[in-house]
Amino acid sequence: MRRLFIPPTLAVIIFFLAFSCAEKQDFNQFDDLSITPTVASSLFYLESEEQHINAVGDLNNFYSQIVNFEAFNEQFVAENLLEGTITYEIENTTSKELSITIEFLDETGNVLDAQVFDVDPTPAPLFSLEVFYGPGGKNIDILTTTSALRISANNLGDSTSVSTLPEPKLILRSAGEFTFRLK
Amino acid sequence: MKICRYLLLAALFGAITLHGQNKQLLYDFYEIPQSLLVNPGVKTLEKWHVGVPVLSGLSFQAGTSGVTVNDLFANDGIDFTTKVRERLIDGMSKRDDFSTTSQIDGFNIGFRGKNRPDDYYSFGMYGETDIIVYWPKDLAALAFEGNGGANIGRSFDLGDLSLRGEMVNVAHFGVNRKISNTLTIGARAKVYSSIFQFQTIQNFGSFRTSQGQDNIFTTSITADMKLQTSGVEGIVDILEEDTGTTQRDLAKLFMKRVLFGGNLGLGFDAGFTHQLNPQTTITGSVLDVGFIHNSKDVRNYTVSGNASNEGITVFLPEDIPNLNNNLWEDLVDELEEAIPYEENDKSYISFRPVKVYGSIRYNFGEGSVFDENCGCGINAQGGQNDAFYRNSVGGQLFFMKRPRGVQAAVTGFFQKRLGSGFSFKTTYTADKYSLTNIGLGLNLQMGPVNFYILGDNLLGYQNIPDSHYASLQFGFNIISWNDN
Repeated sequence: MRRLFIPPTLAVIIFFLAFSCAEKQDFNQFDDLSITPTVASSLFYLESEEQHINAVGDLNNFYSQIVNFEAFNEQFVAENLLEGTITYEIENTTSKELSITIEFLDETGNVLDAQVFDVDPTPAPLFSLEVFYGPGGKNIDILTTTSALRISANNLGDSTSVSTLPEPKLILRSAGEFTFRLK
Repeated sequence: MKICRYLLLAALFGAITLHGQNKQLLYDFYEIPQSLLVNPGVKTLEKWHVGVPVLSGLSFQAGTSGVTVNDLFANDGIDFTTKVRERLIDGMSKRDDFSTTSQIDGFNIGFRGKNRPDDYYSFGMYGETDIIVYWPKDLAALAFEGNGGANIGRSFDLGDLSLRGEMVNVAHFGVNRKISNTLTIGARAKVYSSIFQFQTIQNFGSFRTSQGQDNIFTTSITADMKLQTSGVEGIVDILEEDTGTTQRDLAKLFMKRVLFGGNLGLGFDAGFTHQLNPQTTITGSVLDVGFIHNSKDVRNYTVSGNASNEGITVFLPEDIPNLNNNLWEDLVDELEEAIPYEENDKSYISFRPVKVYGSIRYNFGEGSVFDENCGCGINAQGGQNDAFYRNSVGGQLFFMKRPRGVQAAVTGFFQKRLGSGFSFKTTYTADKYSLTNIGLGLNLQMGPVNFYILGDNLLGYQNIPDSHYASLQFGFNIISWNDN
């Protein structure tokens, strides 16, 4: 009886061990892996009441600020940033024509790029602009060499009028979506 | 011939095991002395046994419940990034895991009590490595796709990061007692000596970028995450040293910890075998109910807190006094303060992964008379003993505590005995790794020499890279059978 079972059992085990197969694998494919996540974040938000704009005076600069912004020129970001889009939204419910300027500065203070927005007084629709950096758009180096932003807002109108809308104010919103190559 | 050579090498180097945590082939295969390690209350047949001690050797098992090597690296002409996205990022769930378990039997000895022949004592030492990493689905998606584009509004679960691993040396001593002709019980005490251990503890949190209240986006993060490690820093320090003695230092550290110089713990196993009637037997066991007190070489990492931000925000005129050039740095500092990353060396308790087995066996096909070396001495009662029957069929259950709950497996088996020297067991097992797991075990007794080989998931050998699970175990014992 043993003769009946031992040889087949051994044969089965030897078969599985000796004749096991392995389909050909190509581990070099890993080199082709492309990981390019898109990171989104709000950047800057400015809100100014019309009362403050009036208090500064007509035809005056009511906000000006340089903000150190090293996020872009961090070594990893500078080396791996593929493209980016910065979105601006401006909402003006004041009675004044306003001008907003955003300048991208390098570490020596040179202006790399500037966005200038002339904003009509209310009633003005929500203004929205997407600025693309990368192939087909603005030079990506503008972002990777930016180390500070200079934001200024000017009142191009008077300093006495007040909008009839409730809580009149200027709002600047901005956010970016940036694509990196991780692999 | 290669196989024979490997078998011979294994014979020279002793018992080498290669298996997953579920040892369904070994369980209740009581002709093999090592079945005591998965049920200390298994029926014991020997007068004494000695496992051929390991002189060197390493065993390794790997399993994946999700993607296989072949799924990603088959030379199929499909773009690799597409395969990663479809089969890994989108195809796997957070309950899928990659796991590896290996075990090396240092030595294994058993003997029957001289004054109490109903007792069978066994002791030994083995090393075990067990690592499980759950697929961090949301974190992988965040790294692969980012939080922008289509992922605006998606909440990424930081709790997806779950892993556990350890290397431990186990010294054990067990007592197996035949209470009656129908009941055998057993227990095993264990002393654990940890070489290293790491685990995440109930990680919780989320990361979400959505439409902002003031600005265009708001990004919010809630995190309560902890990674505990012990024994890892010492190893890393040696590896990072550039002294030229890395290998020697590592071996020294390893030996120290193996020989109870590391973090220590205690545990036990318990089990029983109960014969309901001459043909039906039920068994059960619980293994590794124990803990390790990790107090040496401990390093824990925590990230805890919550924050949300909409970028730099300036409200005029309220913020005029606060305006400066460092608004961005201030924002980053605020976030780091709200969600601090910290390290500490507080000791902690780690629990061993508890395993539970249960089985029912039905015997049929009456055998012939026993010979002297039938291996049935202490439990032999003629037709009262299931060794009298040539065939057994039954079912087994296996449960194991894992970081994400209980991992279960169900097994059906058929066992055939041919005389006193040969038996085999074949199993079908369904678990999270495979629904086509067919195993085959063979036990050979040649005089006092016992050889067994247990191979699992044999269908996976058709294309090993496409297999979710591989397991092989074999070993040699010297056995003296009962003569009473």
